[in-house]
Amino acid sequence: MDRSRRNFLGLGAAAVGTATLQPATVEAREARHGGDAAHRWAMVVDLRKCVGCQACTMACIMENRVPEDSFRTIVSTYEVAENGKSATYMLPRLCNHCENPPCTPVCPTGATYQRQDGIVVVDNSVCVGCGYCVQACPYDARFINHETLTADKCNFCVHRVDAGLLPACVETCVGGARIFGDLNDPESTVSKLVASEDVKVLKPGEGTDPRVFYIGLEAEFQGRVDGTPTLWRPSRAKAEPSLV
Amino acid sequence: AGFAHTGRTMVKGAWAGEHPRDRISGNALSPEFTVDPKTGELAPTPGQIVANVTCQGCTTLCSVRVRVDAETNTVLRAVGNPYSPLSTDPFLPYETPVRDSLTSLSRFEEKGLKGRSTACGRGNAVLQMITSPMRITSPLKRVGPRGSGEWQKISLEQLVAEIAEGGDLFGEGPVEGLRALRDLETPIDPAAPEFGPKANQVGLIAPVNDGRDAFVRRFFNLAYGTINYVGHGSYCGGAYRSGSGAVFGDFKKMPHAKPDMQNAEFVLFIGTAPSNAGNPFKRQAALAGKYRTDGELNYVVVDPVLTNADNRATPGRTNWVPIRPGTDGALVMGMMGWMFDNGRIDTNYLAQPNGKVAEAAGEAGWCNATHLVIVEKGHPREGRMLRASDMGFVALEEKDRYGDGDAFVVIDASGAPAAHDVAGGAAALFHDGVVQTSVGPVAVKTSLALLREAAKARSIEDYSAICGVPVEVIAGLAEEFTSHGKKAAANTHGGMMAGNGFYNAFSVVTLNTLVGNLNWKGGTIFGNGRFPDSGEGPRYNLASFEGAVKPSGLPVSRPIPYEKSSEFKARKAAGKAYPASQPWYPNAPQLTTEYMTSALGEGYPYRLKALFFWNSNPVYGIPGMGLASVEKLKDPKVLPLVVSIDPFINETSAFADYIVPDTVMYESWGWTSAWGGVPTKLTSARWPVVDPRNDKTPDGEPVQMETFLIRLAKTLGLPGFGAGAIPDVDGNLHPLEKPEDWYLRGGANIAWLGKKPLPDASDDDIALSGIERILPRLKATLKEEEWRKVAFVLARGGRFENQSGGFVEDKAGHTFDKGLLVYNEALATSRNAMTGKRWTGTATFTPPAFADGTEMRSVHKAEDWPFELVSSKSVLISSLTILATRLRHLHPSNPVGLNVEDAARLGISTGDHIRLTTPGGAAEGVAIVRHGVMPGVIAVEHGFGHKELGARAHTIDGERQPEIAGIGAGVNLNDLGIADPTRKGVSVWLDPVAGSAVRQGLPARVEKLASA
Amino acid sequence: MDEHILELINVTREVAWLPWAVQYFFLIGISVGAVLLSLPGYWIGRPNWTKLSRLALVVALVCGLAAPVALVSDLHQPNRFWHFYVAWRPHSWMWWGSFFIPVYIGGLLFYAWAALRPEIAAQGRVDSRLGRLYRLVAMGEPRGAGLMKLAGAVVLVGAGLVALYTGVEVYVVRAQILWHTPLLPFQFLLTGLAGALGLVLVLNPIVGDGDARVEVKANRLLALVLAGVMVLGMVWLGLGYFDLDAANAQALRTVAASPAWRNTAIWAALATLVPFLIALVKPRGTGILTGLIAIHSAWMFRWTVFIDGQSIPKTGAGFYEYALPRGAEGLLGIVGTAGLCLFLLVVITALLPMPKRPATGAAETAFLHPAE
Ligand SMILES: Nc1nc2c(c(=O)[nH]1)N[C@H]1C(S)=C(S)[C@@H](COP(=O)(O)OP(=O)(O)OC[C@H]3O[C@@H](n4cnc5c(=O)[nH]c(N)nc54)[C@H](O)[C@@H]3O)O[C@H]1N2
Ligand SMILES: Nc1nc2c(c(=O)[nH]1)N[C@H]1C(S)=C(S)[C@@H](COP(=O)(O)OP(=O)(O)OC[C@H]3O[C@@H](n4cnc5c(=O)[nH]c(N)nc54)[C@H](O)[C@@H]3O)O[C@H]1N2
Ligand code: SF4
Ligand code: SF4
Ligand code: SF4
Ligand code: SF4
Ligand code: SF4
Ligand SMILES: [Mo]
Repeated sequence: MDRSRRNFLGLGAAAVGTATLQPATVEAREARHGGDAAHRWAMVVDLRKCVGCQACTMACIMENRVPEDSFRTIVSTYEVAENGKSATYMLPRLCNHCENPPCTPVCPTGATYQRQDGIVVVDNSVCVGCGYCVQACPYDARFINHETLTADKCNFCVHRVDAGLLPACVETCVGGARIFGDLNDPESTVSKLVASEDVKVLKPGEGTDPRVFYIGLEAEFQGRVDGTPTLWRPSRAKAEPSLV
Repeated sequence: AGFAHTGRTMVKGAWAGEHPRDRISGNALSPEFTVDPKTGELAPTPGQIVANVTCQGCTTLCSVRVRVDAETNTVLRAVGNPYSPLSTDPFLPYETPVRDSLTSLSRFEEKGLKGRSTACGRGNAVLQMITSPMRITSPLKRVGPRGSGEWQKISLEQLVAEIAEGGDLFGEGPVEGLRALRDLETPIDPAAPEFGPKANQVGLIAPVNDGRDAFVRRFFNLAYGTINYVGHGSYCGGAYRSGSGAVFGDFKKMPHAKPDMQNAEFVLFIGTAPSNAGNPFKRQAALAGKYRTDGELNYVVVDPVLTNADNRATPGRTNWVPIRPGTDGALVMGMMGWMFDNGRIDTNYLAQPNGKVAEAAGEAGWCNATHLVIVEKGHPREGRMLRASDMGFVALEEKDRYGDGDAFVVIDASGAPAAHDVAGGAAALFHDGVVQTSVGPVAVKTSLALLREAAKARSIEDYSAICGVPVEVIAGLAEEFTSHGKKAAANTHGGMMAGNGFYNAFSVVTLNTLVGNLNWKGGTIFGNGRFPDSGEGPRYNLASFEGAVKPSGLPVSRPIPYEKSSEFKARKAAGKAYPASQPWYPNAPQLTTEYMTSALGEGYPYRLKALFFWNSNPVYGIPGMGLASVEKLKDPKVLPLVVSIDPFINETSAFADYIVPDTVMYESWGWTSAWGGVPTKLTSARWPVVDPRNDKTPDGEPVQMETFLIRLAKTLGLPGFGAGAIPDVDGNLHPLEKPEDWYLRGGANIAWLGKKPLPDASDDDIALSGIERILPRLKATLKEEEWRKVAFVLARGGRFENQSGGFVEDKAGHTFDKGLLVYNEALATSRNAMTGKRWTGTATFTPPAFADGTEMRSVHKAEDWPFELVSSKSVLISSLTILATRLRHLHPSNPVGLNVEDAARLGISTGDHIRLTTPGGAAEGVAIVRHGVMPGVIAVEHGFGHKELGARAHTIDGERQPEIAGIGAGVNLNDLGIADPTRKGVSVWLDPVAGSAVRQGLPARVEKLASA
Repeated sequence: MDEHILELINVTREVAWLPWAVQYFFLIGISVGAVLLSLPGYWIGRPNWTKLSRLALVVALVCGLAAPVALVSDLHQPNRFWHFYVAWRPHSWMWWGSFFIPVYIGGLLFYAWAALRPEIAAQGRVDSRLGRLYRLVAMGEPRGAGLMKLAGAVVLVGAGLVALYTGVEVYVVRAQILWHTPLLPFQFLLTGLAGALGLVLVLNPIVGDGDARVEVKANRLLALVLAGVMVLGMVWLGLGYFDLDAANAQALRTVAASPAWRNTAIWAALATLVPFLIALVKPRGTGILTGLIAIHSAWMFRWTVFIDGQSIPKTGAGFYEYALPRGAEGLLGIVGTAGLCLFLLVVITALLPMPKRPATGAAETAFLHPAE
């Protein structure tokens, strides 16, 4: 990428990049049900602390029995070479539990919805597996669970949070990068970090108002990453004889 | 036809897919318990057990908290044990009731965020090994030739009987059993009595101490009586440990100190990659993340490969400096030269000739920088330290001269020679002159002067040209390293496994000496080791027993001076003492590498007749070993008996005659500790939280390592096992019939250490810690006053010294008090058995070389082999963790890294198929073109390229086992390891001093096979 | 400044809309296009359109009946399709679609019935084993044009709604950069028309009487439609290239650098340009060729939009690799839908063989001058 474009992007992104706590649109708020409106669960990911150990990825899989080859969260790991200096960049990704989630309104059955505490969930007994929400999420946070054949995604480990515990990925985060808590509680660590740090969100331009915030997020990584892609291929696809 | 599927799913009714447990959380586990976020009140989940045990996902051996589904006897998940410093920072006070430890990881008061206790990526997934379809659960005996992959199941009785008694076991002729081989009298070779008795022809290759090492040693060393028991050090980080041993003055235990990452301001990691690998992996990773963000920590990682040790989101805090493989000595000696030139060495520390004056000078340790070395050419004691007796300061009997009581000599403040231990203050640092000894003048130099000479042997420009690190960066690193007082540290490990690793490591560790950071908060700390379970403990004597053997003789890997051997005498008498037939390693511990090549292939110094592998996989793990040893390993005439004690069929156990199924991870007992890097003392517990899946003996004991060895010992009539084998403090004898007889008594020893014994576990502790399951065994094995105390330990997953014990003000709570060596006399005066030449006594740079000193590059020329292969650990996949499908599916293979410029020249792009070739072998892989790889280097991530463990199907009782292609995915660098062309017979390339396997800097070429 | 990013660890996402979805959008698009082509003949009653409209109606029926099956098959829980109808989801275009589809299919059946009623009745007059059935279906002799007018209006509304929802449903997905262009509904419509014309051209000699005037007319129409497709394509490129529309520009940037995408673009351009030129220059005797290419082009447009579109990572680098599975999630779905269509075609043409009616001179002129 040449200098002018990077700067241009960098500036542009910085201008809209810093996260703000936009309230949800009225529509989005009205559509919420379930959960306790007293809370607004959120995560801050401090990229400076992430060590790329994938404990979160594995804990999520083990806790939520995510099917093989599917991931509710993953720590994308990059090598970034800039001006002759190379460095590793690690970016945990998961559902952002957006304040204005584009994934829920498109659902033709109402199977996916946002709870009053902000957690976006899927009711797998209602979902028809149409995949529309998967298309609508700007973060590739959703997928069709090929065991249950319904939409799946991170749900902030709602069963643990409701039990007074931490989400699995947060509990086991080796670097201490994932911080989970209640934005409605000004004393919570997440509230304090959002207030005191220069937090950013992914794809700020989408108007989704994510409630997963990042410390140390660079403009090049806020949206689609412009780089050489992973060599990873789902082994399920590999196992099945393919034609193309 | 296409709609048949749709039709079928429609017919299935409301659930086309699997019906998950919950409409919102799907198949998620039920929480282990609930905690009221307001009050902290805890409600356990019936049917789930939460227990603190030890992870074996890597050699870090963290204490972790696992969740077990009692009904299905399965481990559901793992997180950290909040009592353990290996999993938590800060960790809980040891007294904390178990109940509070559970809530400490919950949302209650955000405790779980503050005192996070974790399992790493591997630690989260390795519980899959327990239920792996690759696991074997019955004793196996080979059918057909070794390595054919055909097995039959046999009973434990048959297994023990055949191994003990031997016979024509495979229809290939008689095999000597262990009974016949246990001859403690007859020498192996009457012409070389130093070899010791025939019992030494039984050997065991064991891993890192997984908490059961003392038990296995009891069998092999003390009961059976062989000297040949070896760990994996020589193919782990042997070069580092030996290099550290050179500084710490002990080549056998090889002490090492680690950076205090909590308090350091600057750490230089040269050839170790914290948070990518490193030991303790998880603790270092957690501290790196935390202190580079919230603390003062800055660090630089010098490595040919960019890894997860780096993090771009903390600019300035972490930096990667690429380097050519096997040239770290050049970098470090370049730094030292700059430090000497710019007066950036800690003279206050270096000048103190002994501990007392060092303490008075405000130092936390001392070294021999000022001690004088005889440098007089042709002097009979050239290269040795000048001693008080040489000076006539003391009159010692001849036999006591040059012993521990004979002090070293320094030039004191007045300029006069003085005994180092009586010198009252700082001594001369760079004396280079002549001293008058009682027998005349002798040319001497201080240790530090010799080091300076070694450093200045080349210019910084030359060093830079060798290592590929720019001069300014070398100088910059030196400046930074010396800008933080004692709060700077250097460390290394796997990157030292090059053909000159010993001196590279010696150099890196000497950097610490030059800033005098040992025992300082923020410097390097020694840690406090373990609460011993198996020694001569306060409750039971697990160290010795009636009839215990003291093994004697020469270990096959020859960790003693060649000059002490009969061979030397014979050759000397014949007029040519050097070279020996094979190298000797006086400055190293026992070496697995030599068990597998020289002893096995060449019968040098003598042949092994039975070899046991326990929990180890040297054929996979040692570069070139497959090539060097497999043909020999396959041949019963070369090695008559091979037994593997292992739950899996790995690249090594595939060639066994018998496989004894061992328990896996959370099924086993044991007492482990940290390898280093923890300032406080700790012992982590392993105990069976699930019932082992192995076969059971008729009396219900699972078949595992312990049951096997106990039965074998009893069959052979060995001492130390069976009834009355364990004496207690009062001299009463207790049996050793079951694993818990050993481990629970070890637990009692742990509980009684210190001023007063530990408190009793409360009923609540017991109820909430899952130890209910083994309570009957505690009560049956231990004394009334013991079992609750042992329960206290088990409930907490071990014994952990409290956080406050780590430091006393600005110094480490536990210190290394002996003097460090800038100049190592033992090293300097020992000789290379192949050349008779002496080694250099200080840190120095020497190019990678073979056993007789021939430089590797003079044999395998750069024109033919323009690249150098290096190996870095995978964050997720290791030899063991390849079995965990979850890890494998996240990271299914190891594309081979090469630098963009090299790739452009060769027309290789990411995703292309390439072939790697070395003088030792060839392998095919997929390329990944990286800026994060030093030019000229090919980076292979370790853990892939398996040939066994499920990559090849074995047949057991006629039944074909599963075969999984993914297990064999990728490349194993060790298939490309090379032999030592300067040695006779089969060999693998070893560092000439440390005998450590060379996996860094293998000469190679690369070619493109096909585009992506 | 020089910056390179390399993804060391990342995973890819599998497509959530399978080749079934491609089939659905392909079939429904063609059906809608074909209905439109049938209207001049049946609804407006333009005699010079009769043959073409007759063929188009068959195409509309075949594709229209097969499409919902493909749609339901694309649901991972097809058995739960009724969940659409017990929810109130006005924000969801897909939800609306679940109502529009039955309106359209119902309308289509009604319209087809009304249109073909004379033929059905005629069949009923032939003494055959199915005579009774024909008579039953014909519900007496057709009288007057009122019913036809109504049915045409109903199907036009249905087709409009379907065209609207299928286009907008996809267009509103901001997150899929390739989809989020207001041109998409029109592109779907025009490529649907092109596909319908293609099928008409291919079926003309097979199930029709191979009338060259139909071929020429359809080829002329095809050239027109393809010209429209090309214009839309240029507009899309222009909006992106000149950065007139942010989403388009982003989409273009994303795919422009990829050789695979460039190949796709060249292929698509050729698949439009070539039949356009042939149809324009030599509309006679080329129907099978232009028809097949047009069908291919309509299908490929949807494959590119859906399957290739989903291979653009929303956050990751590069492209996800799609491998067409052999099973129901892939090839079998495509083959299956094709088979179903063939089956429907055989049934329909067996039940209602193409009536052989001599064309009038006037009609012939009209055929030759379709633009009138
Ligand atoms: N993820 C993970 N962690 C582990 C383990 C594991 O299997 N996986 N195993 C544990 C064990 S047993 C050990 S011993 C430790 C080892 O921990 P480390 O020593 O940190 O790991 P290694 O990968 O062996 O080597 C460290 C680095 O040395 C680099 N290197 C290679 N050649 C050279 C060289 O010539 N010079 C320099 N400066 N660097 C070089 C490699 O690229 C690599 O990144 O890790 C422990 N932790
Ligand atoms: N190229 C290259 N080679 C390397 C390294 C590298 O980084 N690169 N790393 C080196 C290092 S640091 C080390 S420490 C060594 C490690 O090498 P080894 O010490 O030989 O250990 P592993 O390869 O982990 O194999 C241990 C074996 O133990 C068995 N096992 C697993 N669980 C159990 C159990 O519960 N009980 C028993 N009895 N057996 C069990 C499995 O079969 C497994 O294969 O490899 C070294 N080799
Ligand atoms: S990240 Fe995606 S799935 Fe999650 S709430 Fe936002 S739009 Fe929905
Ligand atoms: S896949 Fe399920 S949750 Fe997603 S939009 Fe369709 S019905 Fe709703
Ligand atoms: S919050 Fe739970 S579901 Fe979401 S990524 Fe973390 S572990 Fe997975
Ligand atoms: S567990 Fe934490 S430190 Fe490890 S990869 Fe995940 S976010 Fe990063
Ligand atoms: S570092 Fe990870 S894999 Fe190794 S022992 Fe600890 S938790 Fe287990
Ligand atoms: Mo190791």
